[in-house]
Amino acid sequence: MIGSVAEPEPEARAGSLLRRIVWHWCHDPKRELWFAWWMMVVFYNLYGLLFFVVARVQPPPDPGWDVPTVVQWFTDHHLGVLSGFAIIFLVTGFIVPTNALLAYSMRRMSVSRAFAYSYLIIYSLAAVPGMLLTCIALTVGSIRPDRDPALIHWLYDFAFMAFDGTMGVFLIGSLVWMAAVLLDENRVFPKWFGYLNLCNALTEVVVAPAWIFKRGAFAWDGEIAWWINMVVFVIYTIVFISLLRRMIEREDFGTGPLPNLPTDDADAEARDPSGSMAMAR
Amino acid sequence: MSAGFGKRLLVVWLALCAITIVSLIVGSLEGRAAHVPNAAITSSAIGIALVKVRIIFREFMEVRHAPVSLCRLTDAWVLLTAVSLLGVYFLGMAFRMDAG
Amino acid sequence: MMNAAGAGSPQHGVDVRPVSKHSEKSEAYVPGQPDMWAFVLFESFLFTGYFLVYMVCRTQSPELFLRSQAELDLRIGTFNTLVLLTSSWTMARCVKAAREGSFPSASTNAFLTMLFGFVFLVSKVSEWAQEIRKGFGFSSNEFFSFYYFLTAIHFLHLLIGFVVLGVVVHQLSSPARRSQELIETGATYWHTIDFLWVIIFSLLYVMR
Repeated sequence: MIGSVAEPEPEARAGSLLRRIVWHWCHDPKRELWFAWWMMVVFYNLYGLLFFVVARVQPPPDPGWDVPTVVQWFTDHHLGVLSGFAIIFLVTGFIVPTNALLAYSMRRMSVSRAFAYSYLIIYSLAAVPGMLLTCIALTVGSIRPDRDPALIHWLYDFAFMAFDGTMGVFLIGSLVWMAAVLLDENRVFPKWFGYLNLCNALTEVVVAPAWIFKRGAFAWDGEIAWWINMVVFVIYTIVFISLLRRMIEREDFGTGPLPNLPTDDADAEARDPSGSMAMAR
Repeated sequence: MSAGFGKRLLVVWLALCAITIVSLIVGSLEGRAAHVPNAAITSSAIGIALVKVRIIFREFMEVRHAPVSLCRLTDAWVLLTAVSLLGVYFLGMAFRMDAG
Repeated sequence: MMNAAGAGSPQHGVDVRPVSKHSEKSEAYVPGQPDMWAFVLFESFLFTGYFLVYMVCRTQSPELFLRSQAELDLRIGTFNTLVLLTSSWTMARCVKAAREGSFPSASTNAFLTMLFGFVFLVSKVSEWAQEIRKGFGFSSNEFFSFYYFLTAIHFLHLLIGFVVLGVVVHQLSSPARRSQELIETGATYWHTIDFLWVIIFSLLYVMR
């Protein structure tokens, strides 16, 4: 069998959930990785909940509305925006371990560390236009409802253009991760994930027309510039969260190829006992 | 290149080019200035396109020799695309005609 | 570069897969990396999404779309389609030649594929220039938004295709590198550019 990860000690699996968590917190060599992974899961769930349900700023409203309608939108979303984004500002820090874990995955690969560091820098900066500016603009727009309507309209445009229009950083980040995955010889991720990064990068390009159109499929709320892109983004996010989990489970803190999980080897054995398929590839 | 393979690929390419010329003829029917929706031309155009796509899958992309699951997946996508595009077209046209 | 996921595939290009001269007798095989097929299918579904949005918008303003479509030249579209079909043919010939070990022939076909790709590129850019000179830009009307969007996103895939062809040519250029799997993977990508164009052609140029 190809080098398998060490079986967890008996104490790790015994006892109640709380005991097991405490054991892992004290003894698991991968605890920082798991901590980062859980922070990532919590962050993305909060992000979805706060943007879509509490503040209701996504799906985005219509860019073609006139000033009175925009002011009305701010009035309707007043409480949701202020409370939802108050929490977002508090949990923005969760992005840090998320990005660190992604960069770690590239450190574990056989490729140059430049990939990991580039990704870390790009994505650290990306949160500013990609999320924070939007939250700030919408919060500023909501905090004084009697502000000049023209200013409120300005903040509205600024917020959604910042969110949907500044895809360049995410595009480059996806391409960096794609290149790293395809060049990697440590098998940290399957090659199809490299190609999925390309799909995600291409959808970032597709958002670009949002800067030009205020109506139709290419506006910031359009079927192509937003809806289809969001489907791809959600799939991509779920996939990389799952793959990062598998990476942590397989991690052996070495520098060579990441070993398969014992269950993967068993599945492969069951499908092809003679090993001829593995030979043929 | 062994004669068998070379010949088959040549025949496939010639067939695809011929079908493309048919599209050109179909697309030029009734004059380009007609400015009138034409269900027959649309159905032929989309049908011809998806026949070509299936040929490309099976012959150029070698799906003919692939496991059945890949054959089914590619055929399913071709069928889904054809049905959904034509479905949207006909429904959309019907809706428009009802609206006047 | 781009080694097979999971399996320890050979570094050097000896392909141990049992392929006979007569393909009907060989076992079923997936050409190239299955990972690339996953990408191809995902992109195909994505494009179907774009095509459906186009079709919905078209049925809502058929007169506008038909009038605007008449500004496009069907012959140029047909020429583009023939060029890409030919590039797919040479790509398929390249794969078959490489499989049989005739690497000079495979290289020639790979370069021919690049040439035809380049012809398409030049033709597309000059078509865009022509339409822009006539006054039809990206935001002129809904049809032209879709025209530029679909052809541009396809064009982007074509540009990536040149990178992929570069990898294929690089593989073929030295006996130390020739990975049949990588060559087939590149071919799978290239054919995708072709079949996506076939559908775009029928939707933008031919249908009424």
